[in-house]
Amino acid sequence: MSPLKSIYHWLNVRLGVDELVEKRLTGYLLPRSINAWYSLGSVLLVIFGIQVVTGILLLIYYVPDAEKAFKSVTYIMNDVHFGWLIRMCHAVGSNMMVAVLLLHMLSALFMGSHKSPRELNWVTGFILFNLVLGISLTGYLLPWSQLSFWATTVATNSAGAIPVIGQYLVEFLRGGKLVGPHTLGRFFAVHVVLLPLVIGALIGAHLFLLERIGVSTPPFGQKETKSTWQGDEFRHESHPGGIPFFPNYLLQDVTSILIYLAIFFCVVFFSPYIFFPPTAFVPADPFKTPAHIKPEWYFLANYQTLKVFPSELLGLMVQGAAMTFLALIPFIDRGKERHPLKRPLFLACFIGGIILFIGMTIWGHYS
Amino acid sequence: MQTTSRRKFLGICLGGLAAAGTAATAYPLLSYLAPRSIDETGGKVTFPETEIPPDGAKIFDYRGTTGVVIRKQSGELVALSAICTHLGCIVQWENEKQNFLCPCHAGRFTPDGAVISGPPPKPLAKLPITVANGVVTVG
Repeated sequence: MSPLKSIYHWLNVRLGVDELVEKRLTGYLLPRSINAWYSLGSVLLVIFGIQVVTGILLLIYYVPDAEKAFKSVTYIMNDVHFGWLIRMCHAVGSNMMVAVLLLHMLSALFMGSHKSPRELNWVTGFILFNLVLGISLTGYLLPWSQLSFWATTVATNSAGAIPVIGQYLVEFLRGGKLVGPHTLGRFFAVHVVLLPLVIGALIGAHLFLLERIGVSTPPFGQKETKSTWQGDEFRHESHPGGIPFFPNYLLQDVTSILIYLAIFFCVVFFSPYIFFPPTAFVPADPFKTPAHIKPEWYFLANYQTLKVFPSELLGLMVQGAAMTFLALIPFIDRGKERHPLKRPLFLACFIGGIILFIGMTIWGHYS
Repeated sequence: MQTTSRRKFLGICLGGLAAAGTAATAYPLLSYLAPRSIDETGGKVTFPETEIPPDGAKIFDYRGTTGVVIRKQSGELVALSAICTHLGCIVQWENEKQNFLCPCHAGRFTPDGAVISGPPPKPLAKLPITVANGVVTVG
């Protein structure tokens, strides 16, 4: 027996590798009609991994001190070998993560994968989406540039519209009356420790739920698209006669990941400053507000919504209601039909919602 | 036979791509983590002679390491590396004993850096020193 085979045999008799491979890879069957959209979860796992690795690397040189933060970021960009690459990967990656997460959620909605019995998968995914927005917002402040400083001032100020506790909440978020060194300290702790841990735990919960309940069958190419689950007892949705995860679907996962990486590196190498307005290159000055401070693209719709309503509280309430509706959608949209073309009201809301989001984003950008 | 060779060819291509990808990731990563290069040949350290205490030593950064200057009882200035040759701790000048003590493992050195006792295997490295117009230059 060759040395490699001996090691494999040694592990196999102790861990049951053959059984694991059979159960989790070659014998793990997925619906025959599964499509490429189902691989976005794997793409997101890779993006999260890249964010964690580049984040740890940035921590080696980044100094979370209001006096030194901007200088340390400049040092990373200009003096550390390939520091620009690590930082660009982290900054571009955070934007890409939000974009891919939106696509992942939209595809799940479109194919009715959020429906019963997968309500918990949707809810954990929705919480993850909010946490990713939170980790992006807290990371935005860390370079301590004019953009970071004033975008954080505006973003934290919005909480002030909440009745009674609003002003206290703003000061709690900032660690003082205004954005300052205390804000940097708490945003840093939340960005590098708290949120990554919570996101990691929720990814675990999301995957656990996926594994327990089974992968949903896409509603396309099936004669019957309705769910037959009665809601009476637990049932793992298996797919006898389906395609194996390994090698068939893993190949799709790898293809999607490589397509993502191609797009990602195109942005990093050819248009790295697409997410950096000029104010991102000026150190924070608490006494000088620059003109036209705008949030990141994924907050532009929220930003514009706050502006179109006569009162900030009303704007916040509308957004809160919309987010609550989205979070609870599997409990509201309870029909068993999953094919989008057989759900005209859903399809109209789905397309209308996307157009509204894009419209408000563009309006926010040019307002 | 044809299938086998095609599979082999594709395997080699994939292996090559994986190796190229690994190299493309490893090179920037290792460069990023590598310590910043310090000029070990140039870079002289200068300070006023008055900064050397009459009964003590001046310890200073020297080309990424640590140096020390003492004034011997004869008035002569001596510049040495302050890194103990045993395990790299910083030696301390003991004026009353007129020698260096390494606090880590009690190694002792003469004012010229020679080993008196303890585990250090080699003397402290001597550094070039000049004094002109009240300014000390090391290096």
